[in-house]
Amino acid sequence: MYSRLSLCFTLGILALSTALPASAHHGWGGNLDEEFELTGTVVTPLSLSGPHATMQIRASDGQVWDLTLAPPARTERAGLKEGIIPVGATVAIHGHRNRDPKRFEVKTERITWNGRTFNVYPDRT
Amino acid sequence: MAWLQGSAIGHAMRESGVWMYGIVNLAHILGVASLFGAVLVLDLRLLGLWRNVGLAAISKPTVPVAATGFVIAAISGVGLLATKATEYIGNPFFYIKFPAIGLGILNVIALGYLPAWKQHKIRELSAREQSKLAVFGGISLLCWLTAITAGRMIGYW
Repeated sequence: MYSRLSLCFTLGILALSTALPASAHHGWGGNLDEEFELTGTVVTPLSLSGPHATMQIRASDGQVWDLTLAPPARTERAGLKEGIIPVGATVAIHGHRNRDPKRFEVKTERITWNGRTFNVYPDRT
Repeated sequence: MAWLQGSAIGHAMRESGVWMYGIVNLAHILGVASLFGAVLVLDLRLLGLWRNVGLAAISKPTVPVAATGFVIAAISGVGLLATKATEYIGNPFFYIKFPAIGLGILNVIALGYLPAWKQHKIRELSAREQSKLAVFGGISLLCWLTAITAGRMIGYW
């Protein structure tokens, strides 16, 4: 009886722990569905480290935006390598903004610089 | 955090190619899987499952597997953290995960001091001693489940 109870207890916790809601970062659920476009100058150059490639740009109103790109290997396969886009360069990006209006973060699908477009999520329109 | 990010580990993680994070992440998952798989079996035994199997027969393989898994997870975890350590400041799951790990470790240290645990390999335990061990098993399971849940959710914040 005791052992059956403890098993139920364990399974209950396991079920609860998998039912927690997930947001941003690894999925698209934490980002708005509508397409988002932004132009700015590069503040922090591309980094191909961590779970996703990252970059920071400053919009014309002075706001600094965090760009989250594809995972490093995928970003690199799209032709975007560290050191290609210099700091201060003007880039146009296309993606999906974070659902939280206080977070200036864009999950970025495409980035255009100097006439070149790097499409890090070519299977997404 | 800034110190960790600027450390040699942080630099190595960021400057060793696009697969580095993924490979260290793999090590972390293998470590966590070994730790939790072993802990789950041992804790469920402490909680009263499989009573016809001697506790010593279960603790013998599970304790070293859990300890090895923990070391692998901890070392790889430092690497993952150091990659962009400052980004975790303010992530609520981060502040749940590490206290949970701390409690889990305190729990296993305290268990090590328990006469019932120290002598489980050389003699039969009384019912009272077994229920004492069950408390430690329950706390352990809660701690590691919390740590893993919070750890997984860090990336989704």
